Amino acid sequence: MRLLLFVSALLGAAWCMETFSGDQVLRIRASSGDQIDKLQLLETLEHLQLDFWLHPSNPALPVDIRVPFGSLQAVRAFLGYHDIKYSILIEDVQVILNEEKQEMISNQRRERSNSNFNYGAYHSLDAIYKAMDDLAAEYHGLVSKIQIGESYEKRPLYVLKFSTGGPDHPAIWLDAGIHAREWVTQATALWTAQKIASEYGNDPSITSLLDTMDIFLLVVTNPDGYVYSHAKNRMWRKTRSKAAGSLCVGVDPNRNWDAGFGGPGSSDQRCSDSYRGPHANSEVEVKSIVDFIKKHGNIKAFLTIHSYSQLLMYPYGYKCTKPADYRELDTVGKAAANALTSLHGTSFKVGTICSTVYQASGGSIDWSYDFGIKYSFAFELRDTGRYGFLLPADQIIPTAEETWLGLKSIMEHVRDHPY
Amino acid sequence: MCLAKNNKQFPGLTYLFSQATTGQNTECASIFFSRSCLLLFQPVLGTGNKYYLQFTTEDYKTRENVGTCLAIVFYLKRKPTPTVNIKCTYTKDQKEVQEDDHRFYQKIRQQTKPIIGSYIPDSYGNIEPAFESAWALAVVGSSYIMWEKSTENLGYFMAQVKHVKQWISKDDSIDFDYAVLLHEIPTQEMILCHMRVIWIPNHPLKVKYFCSSENQSAESEDVSGMESGSADGILNEKEANF
Repeated sequence: MRLLLFVSALLGAAWCMETFSGDQVLRIRASSGDQIDKLQLLETLEHLQLDFWLHPSNPALPVDIRVPFGSLQAVRAFLGYHDIKYSILIEDVQVILNEEKQEMISNQRRERSNSNFNYGAYHSLDAIYKAMDDLAAEYHGLVSKIQIGESYEKRPLYVLKFSTGGPDHPAIWLDAGIHAREWVTQATALWTAQKIASEYGNDPSITSLLDTMDIFLLVVTNPDGYVYSHAKNRMWRKTRSKAAGSLCVGVDPNRNWDAGFGGPGSSDQRCSDSYRGPHANSEVEVKSIVDFIKKHGNIKAFLTIHSYSQLLMYPYGYKCTKPADYRELDTVGKAAANALTSLHGTSFKVGTICSTVYQASGGSIDWSYDFGIKYSFAFELRDTGRYGFLLPADQIIPTAEETWLGLKSIMEHVRDHPY
Repeated sequence: MCLAKNNKQFPGLTYLFSQATTGQNTECASIFFSRSCLLLFQPVLGTGNKYYLQFTTEDYKTRENVGTCLAIVFYLKRKPTPTVNIKCTYTKDQKEVQEDDHRFYQKIRQQTKPIIGSYIPDSYGNIEPAFESAWALAVVGSSYIMWEKSTENLGYFMAQVKHVKQWISKDDSIDFDYAVLLHEIPTQEMILCHMRVIWIPNHPLKVKYFCSSENQSAESEDVSGMESGSADGILNEKEANF
């Protein structure tokens, strides 16, 4: 008799909902087979419009029901009467839906803003960091942002990690903007980040690469210098580290690595634009990379991007002898340069640092090579001196596009030649 | 077949080219960019190093090929300036070059207001059309400075015109005061040069200059106004034998 009463009460409570406002999701824990029977009865009452997310089967498993607002009182009364224990999983379904919608809108906005981001222009550090965040959000399954340290002036050093998972993936290291005034390099790196992310799942070569290897991309290696080149001196090259007793600021970060440190091609004068620093790895920007690479332990390629001169170089710079892997590096370099040239006809020279430009000690790819990273290359992008560091912005994307072909060529070789 | 070393652009060679093609007293100030190729490097025991170079030269604006040269540049020990033997062939008609020069001259003379500007190109690589000619003239003047300053192991590119001010002269010459930044290789320094360029077509270019290293002034802020280039101790005053 009482059961009939409750059932009719339940009957009367049913009404149609347009939104999910006030709906709740209840998690019910039946304690006996008898209680399961009761819940199965509940399931038959269609007018309640109950939405079973987990159906009643046996007492060991919970039963989840989305209960429309209008049926809540009746269902609660039913459960209470039968001593069936429950808890509230979701207090208000509409709230959750609203939050989700907001996220989708802001995702769309982020995506839209990302596709509206002008890769063919020079941007401030803040704008670059925001674009990196947007990229990581848009491709959150593939791209994440990690911090490997802080600059001298306490700016974060952000690396974009491209990974399809897998704890022991070998990896490729890419960095740009170690010299502040080489603006086309930071811009190229950002474009490249977007390219890698968008190519995964579309380009078979990049897809197969990222399925077995990770890529780490340091877009702005020298953020202090970069900010200074925007705010104060467009031609600034070095870091912004200060030393007691000196009017001059900064160290050339590409003379500061532990590779022939202190040798020819670097200066011991604080005011010099190629000042090597008081000792190797004195610059936190350099040390952060060294520490990261050592800690990772499985970096297979080290690619650094500079401008200008249109060159693709491999070790050594600190000495004028050929590296042990000279033949292979030269072959890989020439193939990459050919791929690069194929797009817009931009010609690149290939060779060791010493024979192509000049002897220079304390350079990054010499360190990485001697550390054991065989595929160590340095790019010098456009142009050959007409505009030099002041490369017009309309050349950013063509430069990035052609550089991409060169990078891809090297990365494919690294993928296909594990060591 | 180019060798790897020194296989890049030598803007100083624009001056070389001009000197060679029209003899000792060249009359042209046309602006060219050269691309050099080292054919042979020949150390001469006890004396110095000989470089056999081939280079092509193109018009700065149209990029059309202007000529090709073969040069033997001999750096003697303890002497910064090399001896140069050079032979060139023009691909562009000399008369056309003279006409280009005249057009260039007229364009500047027709200015009603003197050209005054800063940071050309700007930080983003832009050159305002109004400043193109002034920039081009700076390249020519700078190449003369580079020719004098460069050594066997030290080279330059003009990185930027920091300031330019045109003087309206009473005679027919065009007269510009510049502060230019020269990018020095391999030291990577930015050298600030004050330069005065005076020119009439069919006459040699006159270049006076004074250079200092930017870094020596530690953290000097950018100069907001034009420094009086002429008053500031002119050390080098020569006529460029174009």
